[in-house]
Amino acid sequence: MPKNTLKICIGTPCHLMGASELLELIAELDQNLRDKIELKTSHCIDDCCEQAPVAEFNGRIYQDLNPEKLYKIIRNNIR
Amino acid sequence: MSRNTISEVIKLKRRLYIELLRLVKTGKLVEEISSLSQKMITKDSPRYRCCEFKERAIFDQRIKAVMGFNIASNKDKSLEELAESLPRQEKKRNIVEVIYTACDSCPIDKYIVTDACRNCVAHKCVNACPVSAIVIIQNKAYIDQDKCVECGKCAGACSYNAILENQRPCSRACELDAINSDSNRQAKIDREKCVSCGSCITACPFGAITETGDLIQVALELFSEKNKLAAMLAPSFVGQFGYQQGPAKIKYALKKLGFEKVIEVAAGAEITAAAESKELKEKIIEEETLLSSCCPAFKTMVLNEFESLSNLISKTDSPMAVTAQEIKNENNELKTIFIGPCTAKKEEALQNENVDYVLSFEELLALFTAHNINLAEIEKAEKLEDAGVLGRQFAYAGGLQKSLQELITVDYKSKQVDGLGRLKKELYLIKAKKNNYNFLEGMACTGGCIGGPSAMISKKAAKKLVQNFAASN
Repeated sequence: MPKNTLKICIGTPCHLMGASELLELIAELDQNLRDKIELKTSHCIDDCCEQAPVAEFNGRIYQDLNPEKLYKIIRNNIR
Repeated sequence: MSRNTISEVIKLKRRLYIELLRLVKTGKLVEEISSLSQKMITKDSPRYRCCEFKERAIFDQRIKAVMGFNIASNKDKSLEELAESLPRQEKKRNIVEVIYTACDSCPIDKYIVTDACRNCVAHKCVNACPVSAIVIIQNKAYIDQDKCVECGKCAGACSYNAILENQRPCSRACELDAINSDSNRQAKIDREKCVSCGSCITACPFGAITETGDLIQVALELFSEKNKLAAMLAPSFVGQFGYQQGPAKIKYALKKLGFEKVIEVAAGAEITAAAESKELKEKIIEEETLLSSCCPAFKTMVLNEFESLSNLISKTDSPMAVTAQEIKNENNELKTIFIGPCTAKKEEALQNENVDYVLSFEELLALFTAHNINLAEIEKAEKLEDAGVLGRQFAYAGGLQKSLQELITVDYKSKQVDGLGRLKKELYLIKAKKNNYNFLEGMACTGGCIGGPSAMISKKAAKKLVQNFAASN
């Protein structure tokens, strides 16, 4: 059972600002790292559409993401 | 063309779309348009240029382009004045345009002298330079960049290949050499060569090249409810509007947004394929070559640069043109809006009286966002069943070729080429009659339409989704 949970918002505002690139990043992750993460999608996280794209990793919300930022967040916070 | 990752430039543009659309929605476009740049760019917001004032000046020019006005020819008009004149009647305009204030006149010197320079006796570079920009300093040729006009004669003249050409992102991206620099070293588009493919727009890291669009006009049409609107979805639309957001949901959402009719352009593509197969049969008998006509950027390139081959272009209308014609035949009151990944279609639409507006995928997504329509939260759907596989597979490179093969029973050879640079080479072969096929499918974008400049997802994912959708009927 993966110990980490990643929730990526796939709502329209987040998609417009690059949510699909975040999903692509997860699909291309190292298998080692990928196995530790449970991926979920969300319709909206915390109503912060102005700061799209948004994701939640292990309970913490991150805004205005791009694949590079999300990768660093995962590397630094993975359990 | 490869899809670029979503940079700050793209995000800023999309945020601007949303803010402008919100103004339209609240009926305050004219009233508040001139203060929008002030609202969106503050002293503390991230800055990429010298000061927030320059940032705002660039922003205001971008707003003009989003409203569908050419920046250069409307530089003395205020935003309010332009907003008030919408919706405008005449369609004439340039699609791709340089925002001169934003163009950084890239300090990347186009020609630099490398260490390979041996300070030879001949000094061919010095002699070749028409503006005396090259002098010898410290035993090495030196290019005075203030004088250099980037003609390239020095690089050609050097016996040691010591002078390096270092191209700007915009001109490197343009496979038709349609971008030069003017006397201020800013990017300049050669209208005789430009086919509005959109490569330079995505390539410029300063966001200094932009497209003029119909977004605000369409939003005003939706807002006024005076005219009924028909949305024409390009075959490549599948999967572009969000993870797991299927075609049927898009149709429902478009109706919710206010569109009266939603139709797949793939329906027109089937008619195009049937007509083009008839043409091709004749060409096969005559042992001639037929060039596909559905990609407007490819077609324009042939017309611009290979005049002698222009009679080989298929006379068949493009899927967009056919679909729009069908809609107008049925109900002339409907305004037609093509929705696709393509900037060249914007150009094609200017010349087609049946196509009223063109939106890109990102522009439509901004419309959804501004109207608070979150596709992920919608549960209703309305089935799209306008076309089958023959039309739907037009979305990717090789699809048209396949459809024709299915429609023609006799044996013949055809070829599929994508990318303008590769197509240009192919056309030289055809010109020299060195081709051994009867049909050339030409797509300007790598991968076909799914690789278009405003595609929202990767080509690989998009192709799979289109194929699944095509097989579903």
